[in-house]
Amino acid sequence: MSTLVESPPVQIPPPRTKLRTLPIDQTRGIQAVYALICTEATLFLCMFGAYYYLGNNKDRWAIETPPELVYPFVLLAILLSSSAVIHWGEKQVEKGRYGASRAALWFTVLLGLLFLALQGMEYASEWGRLTPDTDSYGSIFYTITTLHAAHVIAGLLLLAYVGFLPHYGFARRSPHMPYQVAARYWHFVDFVWVFIVGLLYVIPHFLVHGHVH
Amino acid sequence: MAETAVASQLTELWETPKTLCGWLGTVDHKELGIRYLVTAFLFLIVGGVESLLVRIQLTHSNMNFLSPEGYNQMYTMHGVTMIFWYAAPILSGFAIYLIPLMIGARDLAFPRLNAFTYWTFLFSGILLYISPFFHQAPHAGWFAYVPYTLTEYSPGVGMDYYALSLILLGISTTGAAINFVVTIFRFRAPGMAISRMPLFAYSTLTISCVIVFAMPALTAACIFLELDRHWGTHFFGIAGGGSTFLWQQLFWFFGHPWVYVIFLPATGMISLIIPAFSRRPVVGYAWIAISTILTGLVGFGVWLHHMFTVGMSDIAMSIFSAGSMTISVFTSIQVLAWLATIWKGRPVATTSMYYAVGSVVMLVIGGLSGVFTGIIPVDWQVHNTYYVVAHIHYVLVGSNVFPVFAGFYFWLPKMTGRMMSEKLGKLSFWVMFIGFNVGFFPMHIIGLMGMPRRIFTYPAGLGFDKWNMVITIGAFVLGVGILISIINLFVSLRSGKLAGPNPWNADGLEWLTDSPPPPYDFEHIPLVASRHPLWDDYDNLDDPDDDRVLDGGRLTTITTWLDAEPIGVATIPEDSLLPLVMSLTLLGFFLAYQFHALWIALALIILTFLAGCAWMWPHTEKEVL
Ligand code: HEM
Repeated sequence: MSTLVESPPVQIPPPRTKLRTLPIDQTRGIQAVYALICTEATLFLCMFGAYYYLGNNKDRWAIETPPELVYPFVLLAILLSSSAVIHWGEKQVEKGRYGASRAALWFTVLLGLLFLALQGMEYASEWGRLTPDTDSYGSIFYTITTLHAAHVIAGLLLLAYVGFLPHYGFARRSPHMPYQVAARYWHFVDFVWVFIVGLLYVIPHFLVHGHVH
Repeated sequence: MAETAVASQLTELWETPKTLCGWLGTVDHKELGIRYLVTAFLFLIVGGVESLLVRIQLTHSNMNFLSPEGYNQMYTMHGVTMIFWYAAPILSGFAIYLIPLMIGARDLAFPRLNAFTYWTFLFSGILLYISPFFHQAPHAGWFAYVPYTLTEYSPGVGMDYYALSLILLGISTTGAAINFVVTIFRFRAPGMAISRMPLFAYSTLTISCVIVFAMPALTAACIFLELDRHWGTHFFGIAGGGSTFLWQQLFWFFGHPWVYVIFLPATGMISLIIPAFSRRPVVGYAWIAISTILTGLVGFGVWLHHMFTVGMSDIAMSIFSAGSMTISVFTSIQVLAWLATIWKGRPVATTSMYYAVGSVVMLVIGGLSGVFTGIIPVDWQVHNTYYVVAHIHYVLVGSNVFPVFAGFYFWLPKMTGRMMSEKLGKLSFWVMFIGFNVGFFPMHIIGLMGMPRRIFTYPAGLGFDKWNMVITIGAFVLGVGILISIINLFVSLRSGKLAGPNPWNADGLEWLTDSPPPPYDFEHIPLVASRHPLWDDYDNLDDPDDDRVLDGGRLTTITTWLDAEPIGVATIPEDSLLPLVMSLTLLGFFLAYQFHALWIALALIILTFLAGCAWMWPHTEKEVL
């Protein structure tokens, strides 16, 4: 092969850090879970988009009676407090108090199970007037909430896995910090519920009242 | 290079045993990259054979080679296979093999995830190809518009396999994308600041981000389709208050960015190949990098241009039409930069360079016909004619198949350690180039004459016969051209001349190490002092006290994401069978669902979770640091 056309490019040699003494990196797992959260959030965005797309050309978006408000707010309270608990647990992991963090984790799991049970009751109470095959509103309503429930289950499984880890696996296993990763995911699942409550439950009530016909 | 003590220590740590378990459980990015390439290439051949069968049917008016239903299944399988199981995965294959080498790392950030995504990619393809055995392959085109795909009109299982295998492929693709993002941000060798990154890494990074945000739309669409087909929901059926356009919106919100997923990494490869053979740094590095990123971004804002004929507000159409035009500006910037590089350099006419330049030519033709279709009145005219088929093939073959061949001729010596024959290579190029143009250029003409796409035959006397004959011949010639390159590969594997580390005298880090690279990629983690590490006169491997050997385990460096200053070392996990087990159970889940064995499906999804737990489980206290 012939030689280069130009003289060699500009060079700025990097500083010579000693690699041997550098710490083991554990942040990759967290970064990956953030990326995962990005796609999952987009999945929910698509679902919300579909909700509005299906609704926008209907006169009354099938909401003669908007969904009950009591259940979703109780559920919201449960999820938000579970987020607080697991956050406290994370702090304990940093301090090395593994017993306390394990307790926090299992308590979060309990709250999650309570959430699922209550959501089941909510479905039971809605079922009489609305099912997925009533119309497109029923389809998208149940699909979004069930997809969220599936994420709750996934989050619970993750938490349970961490709950069974031996102490030493809690904070440190390169490249992951399993406790933090599971907790991040759980925060995300809780956060989605905030949007669901806003978009699927609260706003329809305003729309009903705002409707002049 | 003689085997030093250091090297044998590293080999000990990194080598995969040559046993069946080793083969199934390997997490080596080079091994998996090659598997990706081979698998995706097989899909190219399968899809190619399907397209040839389609062409045989169209050679004459009123042929009976395929039944109408068989024809529909054939072109659908062709489109689906090519778009989803060939075009994107083959580029992932290059990226998986090359990215760690290019950025001076020893593996991807999540090697086991890499194994998992390979197996799920393979299994999703197998899942798709189960349906032809029931003679009920998907038959609704690669974008599967509703309501035709609902059970009333498509009662067979074909559309279910379409939806399920795409969901499975989506899992695989998203996993690979996340892997690339973290790898490219964190694993670059010390000194490889973001402004020194090879352009291929830029395009891979861009499309990985695109995948993260685009894939869910397809997943959502496929979930809705499955629910509508089997669970009585009303997303798409008008009667139940659904909307058929919902599918189109979701599909194209995913689909148009996906076009760039297929296209950008290929341009990234060209941006490395053309400078290497023009013997000078690429012109306008920053321009290319920025237009790559902008293409990815703006790609999210043009999806409605696939739907100009459905009727929508003028303002929406104008915005989306303008967006489509903007993208062609970014592509033009890249094309002009390549031409300037050739112009100002001293080009060497190798096979790889032939393919690269050939692809630019076709890209320009495809881009021009694309600008036409981006203009709304023209689109109304040519919509659903062979003009569109010509356009997509100029773009896809020009921006994917030819660059992929350029990439093969450029990097295969690195992968196999042996050179390919230039003579056969150039022959293959000319046969492919001529075959392609003979086969596809006339499609513009018959398209404008009014020949519709996706119609299994046409009456005599419309003036289509003559051109269709030419097209079919061209398609076969193209196939022969591809065959010549395959033969070339096998000849080179047997008796090619040894390549040595840097046969092309190119500039990237991947040419610093042996061909094929040792299991640990680099004996010393390289230091990078410029954008063209092998063309400057800085010694990347200078490491007097063996500080950068990192042989205390399977280790590589972690650097900051902009300046690439080393801040840590990363441990790389060992080989494991669990990723394979996990993707098998996942495949089982989809199959069980398809056969309505819901309890088995539930059991399998639990097994998938347990396999994941076993995969992640910390085994010894030693892993605590
Ligand atoms: C081996 C050379 C190829 C030949 C001869 C060929 C031929 C054809 C033909 C004749 C059609 C139109 C069928 C019809 O509408 O009646 C078609 C459609 C299509 N091809 Fe190809 N093709 C080739 C390669 C490719 C490649 C490499 C890609 C993608 C990377 C591709 C993607 C598509 C797509 C997406 C469609 C549209 C399918 C649909 O209408 O749903 N083709 N091809």
